Amino acid sequence: MDRVIETPLTADDISCLKIGDVVYLKGIIYTSRDMAHMTIKDKLDKGQSLPVDFRGAAVFHAGPVVRKTDTGWKLGVIGPTSSIRMEPYAEMVGELGVKAIIGKGGMHDKSRDAFQRYGQVYLQAAPGCAALLADGIEKIEEVHWFDLGMPEALWVLKAKKFGPLVVAMDSRGNSIYQDIRNKAQETIDLLYRPA
Amino acid sequence: MIMEPLDLYADIYDLVVKCCTDISPDVKKIMQNAIEVESSPTARSMMQAMLDDVKLAQEKDKPLCQSPGFPAVYVTFGDGTRPGNIKELFAKALVTATKNGYMRPSMVHPLTRSNPGDNSGVRVPNFEFDYVPEQEFLDITLSFKGCGAELGNAMKIFTTAQLGKDYSGLKRFVLETVTKAGGVPCPPIGLGIGIGGQMDVACRLSRRGISTRRWDDSNPDSLYASLESELLQAINRLGIGPAGTGGDTTALAVKIEGASTHTAIAPVAISFHCWTARRAGIRLYPDGKREEIL
Repeated sequence: MDRVIETPLTADDISCLKIGDVVYLKGIIYTSRDMAHMTIKDKLDKGQSLPVDFRGAAVFHAGPVVRKTDTGWKLGVIGPTSSIRMEPYAEMVGELGVKAIIGKGGMHDKSRDAFQRYGQVYLQAAPGCAALLADGIEKIEEVHWFDLGMPEALWVLKAKKFGPLVVAMDSRGNSIYQDIRNKAQETIDLLYRPA
Repeated sequence: MIMEPLDLYADIYDLVVKCCTDISPDVKKIMQNAIEVESSPTARSMMQAMLDDVKLAQEKDKPLCQSPGFPAVYVTFGDGTRPGNIKELFAKALVTATKNGYMRPSMVHPLTRSNPGDNSGVRVPNFEFDYVPEQEFLDITLSFKGCGAELGNAMKIFTTAQLGKDYSGLKRFVLETVTKAGGVPCPPIGLGIGIGGQMDVACRLSRRGISTRRWDDSNPDSLYASLESELLQAINRLGIGPAGTGGDTTALAVKIEGASTHTAIAPVAISFHCWTARRAGIRLYPDGKREEIL
C-alpha cells in the first residue's frame, strides 16, 4: 500500500518520516525556485504580506511547462530542479512554517540544521521525469508573480497523488546525501591515495 | 554552394522536437542493461521510472523533462556545404517549439534574470562551427544539456606534478568532483572530460565529448579509451546512484577529448550531463539526400 500524506502537513506527519521512506503527496503544493525565494525574502524584509500561507506547506523546487487556455492554466509537465540553489534561504523557509521540501540533489548543512529545528523533511523526486510526475497533479489552482517568468513564478498546484518521493533528509538530522558523500570520499582515498 | 535555407527549416524544427521528447537510443540501452545488474531496488525502480517517463513523453507528445536545458548546435561543413543562415533557423525553431509547448521558456538575461518568454536570447543556441574544406556534406547535431548538471562542472589548470603518477591527481579530481556534485546533476550521469589546450579549449572539449558522441562508442585513442573505462568503473564504486539516493549506477559513460597543450600546463575540464541524453543529428548532402546521425 502506497503511503499518501496530505497537505497541510502537521508536526506528527513529519516526525514519523525517516530517511529511505517512500511517500506520495496529496493536496496543495507550491512551487518556488530562485526568484520566488528571493521575492519572498524581499517582501518579508519590507514587512509586506505574502500571497499564500506557507504554514504546513509542501514547497516544490520546480518550474513547470504550462499553457494558458480559455479555462485557465493547463499543466504540461513538471519535475524537480536542483535544490542546492535554495540553500541560502533555509532559515527563512523554516520560519515560514514549510514542512516538506521537494526537489532533487538534496541540500546541505544549513538546511539539515533547519530541518531539525523546524521539523521539516526533504523529499527527492525522480529527476528529469517531468511527464511521469505531471500525472500526479490534478490541476493548477493559480499563479503568483508570473512576471518572474514561467519557471520562476509561484505556481499553486493541486496534487491527487504526487510521487513517488524518497525521504532523503529527515527532521532528526539524517541525510542520505551526506552518508553517501562520506562513504564516497573513503572510496576515493582507497582507489587513489592523496598525493 | 550554400545549403538552401528553406529546405533546412523543417529538418531543424524536427531535431528540436526530437530533443524535447526523446533520449538517444544508445543511452536507453545502457540504462536498460544497468537495471539488470543494479543491486539496489530503489535505484532499479528510479531508473525504471526514468525509462517510463521517456515512453510517456513519446506517447503524449510532451517534453520528457520540464527543463529543456541549454541548447547547443555542433555544425561541420565543407566548401560545398556551407550552412547558410542556420543561426536564424535554429533561433526560430526554438521559439516555435516553445510556443507549441515543447520547451519551457528558460533563457534569461545573465544578470537581470529577465525572461523574454520564448527561449530567444543572445547567443542562443550555443553554436560551434567546424570547417573541413573537402567535406562533401553538412553535419548538424543538436544537444539539449541539462543545467542542473552544469552546476557540478569544474575546471582546473594542473601542473605536470599535480597530474601525478598514472594521472592519479587527475583521477582524484574527477572522483571528488563527481562526489561533490552528488545527486545534483541528475544521475546516472554522462561525464565529459576535456584535457589540454587553453582553459576554454578544455571546457569546450569536455562539453563536446559528452554532448555529441554516442555513449556506447569507444575512444579511438588507446590512452583515453583506457582512462574512460577506468574512470567509469571507479565512479560507479562511489555509491551515489540514480537520483543521488544510492546505488551502483552513478555514471553511464565517460568521454574524454584531448588537445595538445603548453608544456607548463595541463588544463582539465569536467562537464556533467544528466541521464536525459537529448541529442539528435542529421547529415545533409547537396543533392538533397538526408541521413540521421547518432
